[in-house]
Amino acid sequence: MAVERKRLADFGLNSERLLMTKLGPKKGEPAKFERELQPLEERLMLTTVEKAVTWAQGSSIWPDTFGLACCAIEMMSIVSSRYDVARFGAEVFRSSPRQADLLIVSGRVSHKMAAPLKQIYDQMLEPKWVMAMGACASSAGMFNNYAVLQGVDKIVPVDIYVPGCPPRPEAVLEGIVRLQEKIKAGVPPAYEIRRAAEG
Amino acid sequence: MDHAAVPGFVERKDAYGETTIVVERERLVEAALHLRDELGFNFLADVAAADYLGWGASGVAGYWGSPPPSEQTREWTPPARDLNAPGSWGLQRVPEPKPKRFSVSYHLLALGPTPRRIRLQVWCDDGEPVSSVVEVWPTADWHEREAWDLMGIAIEGHPNLARILMDDDWEGHPLRKDYPLGGEPVRFSDEE
Amino acid sequence: MAVAARPPLAAGPPVYEGTRIPRPIPTVLQVDPALREEGDVLEVNFGPNHPSTHGVLRLVLDLNGERVVGLKAVIGYLHTGFEKNMEAKTYWKAITYAPRMDYVAFQANEYGFVAAIEKLLGIDVPPKAVWMRTLLLELNRIHSHLVWLGTGALELGAISMFWYCFRERDAILDLFEMVCGFRMHTRYFQAGGLAEDIPIGFYEECQKFCDVMPERIDEYEAILDQQAIFLARTQGIGLLAADDAIALAQSGPVLRASGVDWDIRKNEPYLAYGDVDFNVPVYTHGDVYDRYRVRIEEMRESVRIVQQCLDGMPDGPWTSDNRKVVLPPRHELHTSMESLIHHFKLVTEGYRVPEGEVYVAIESPRGEFGCYLVSDGGPRPWRVKFRAPSYVVLEATATVMSDALVADLIAIVGSLDNVMGEADR
Repeated sequence: MAVERKRLADFGLNSERLLMTKLGPKKGEPAKFERELQPLEERLMLTTVEKAVTWAQGSSIWPDTFGLACCAIEMMSIVSSRYDVARFGAEVFRSSPRQADLLIVSGRVSHKMAAPLKQIYDQMLEPKWVMAMGACASSAGMFNNYAVLQGVDKIVPVDIYVPGCPPRPEAVLEGIVRLQEKIKAGVPPAYEIRRAAEG
Repeated sequence: MDHAAVPGFVERKDAYGETTIVVERERLVEAALHLRDELGFNFLADVAAADYLGWGASGVAGYWGSPPPSEQTREWTPPARDLNAPGSWGLQRVPEPKPKRFSVSYHLLALGPTPRRIRLQVWCDDGEPVSSVVEVWPTADWHEREAWDLMGIAIEGHPNLARILMDDDWEGHPLRKDYPLGGEPVRFSDEE
Repeated sequence: MAVAARPPLAAGPPVYEGTRIPRPIPTVLQVDPALREEGDVLEVNFGPNHPSTHGVLRLVLDLNGERVVGLKAVIGYLHTGFEKNMEAKTYWKAITYAPRMDYVAFQANEYGFVAAIEKLLGIDVPPKAVWMRTLLLELNRIHSHLVWLGTGALELGAISMFWYCFRERDAILDLFEMVCGFRMHTRYFQAGGLAEDIPIGFYEECQKFCDVMPERIDEYEAILDQQAIFLARTQGIGLLAADDAIALAQSGPVLRASGVDWDIRKNEPYLAYGDVDFNVPVYTHGDVYDRYRVRIEEMRESVRIVQQCLDGMPDGPWTSDNRKVVLPPRHELHTSMESLIHHFKLVTEGYRVPEGEVYVAIESPRGEFGCYLVSDGGPRPWRVKFRAPSYVVLEATATVMSDALVADLIAIVGSLDNVMGEADR
């Protein structure tokens, strides 16, 4: 079914400079700009702003270089050529928490480190996500003792837990992919959920 | 080597191919200087403090042996059990009693063509000061701070005796035997 | 002995006269009060979350313009309570803790602890296990130096080194994974030998690695050694003289870069190091560049040792047959009551280690790694204390950083190759 296509002029757009009417083949026919726009319009997709935003957020997660312990070495190796986290758009490690979206807590958090960790988390701009990488960050793992914070979720809300001691780089990549799925599905970040739960 | 000439010499122990020289706590620095200057131990590898609270009593640190006998019958035999011998399983005796609660061991090395190692040891009770050897071996600085921080050894004469691994406002000395391991209780374990 | 001939540096003598260890506190560089009076001294906090501090090291710097006039290292941000936790575990579970301290040279730590247990036990280790341990320790040394080289060069702006080094690092980790099923923290050594037999195909894969690695090291050198920026940023800075290094008990590459010919592998041989042929690279300038040179040369020597271990690997059992310490083979559990009892006792209670105290020092990639182990004769260690080379190397920060520029701080601290997990334990 042929659709009666409206001309830009029908929408009240008559700027000669924009439409470049003089470049048209004949007077009254669609000009160059309109002819170029036409196929583009056919390929355009409609979406909601939320979806577009979550897509953009999920596809460009910038992690903070927050290396703590063993997991930090494996976190570094996800950038290396074999694993190449750039395939998932998360290769831009930022040293400043203000430019980062994802805090990968890579290793055990001692009570002495808890305050700097919380400070770094607070410095990150919203929306922000936290990945508890490895057994120590998730639950203190084998270090059930006086020095280690028993799970980083005691001080910051965690979005995704990656098991392992340390997790393989593939596991970290899967964690990032799962987090992307979560973001794109519209699941709010953990701090919002926690905030709602705490009232 | 004439270890008896070390100032404050108390005893010499040889075990597992290692030599331990125990000296009086009050004359530690003299002994250290003697070892460094006369005997050539120029390299302080490590300072290790140990807490012997509950040494030889059951229920501490997994010691499952018999309770300590009375002072009169206590006899110590050198650790020479053949683990393969039938019936040698299990702890048959009480470990050698220790003179005081804490030991501080200085692991020394004579760095040179013919390397030698020796362990200089002093014993102290809670609160008894141990002189600092920072002036003898500068590397003792952090080791002694660690001994103070984690074990509560009162180091005397240290230029900067502050906590090093724990927070400044931490209470207690975690590596002492009477300090609980901490953490969270785990279900179906003994800790609950 | 490989001593490199290098033209003398343009500015000043390569290694200073006298001592630069600050007094009265050897590890703190204190600001001259007169300078502080002028009011131009700026206190800057560096770390604990900084990408270039190799972990959670915190340095409190006093800057006078670009110049570092005061420095204090604050550690403990990764204090994990290893020593306390190991006291609560049986020996064979405590072995699992040891590699998590120095997470770059995990097997060196693992071996240090196992060696202390074995010294107390007096257990005989079969030659195959001895040679395999030597091989893995050297692979681990290469691994550690690769991580150091990759990140250290990255901090100086040479990002391509990172990709190259991590490529070879993954090749080594593949070998580790082949041996024990996990990339890091292998827990492959245990008292009495190895945890498992060497898998089929390991020698071939390791041989491939040995064939390719020397060329790769040439590549690294080609990238860095001819680069004017790298040379300018490493030569002549971070000086540490031999006397100061010994007084501060430095060890490993830092000590050897200061001209002291000391390597525990050579001077107090353990494992199979007495039977293999290798050189100990020693350089004399005591600067960042020489530490880099020492590590590069050590990688070459390590490849040589790995090759010799492959060639000379004896056959036979991989672990001791002492049933009081080593788990019996699985198949025996179905046929032998004795083995079942031993298995049960070892798993539930652990083996008992004779009473005594030992100090075992090995040459980890970072230097002298010592383990002081006290046993009361029970199945759990009474006291474990580790002499961590990273902890000791950080004591030298005040000395190596005196008169340095703040821009050189990254290169200098990086050249010390500290791993905070081991320093804080």
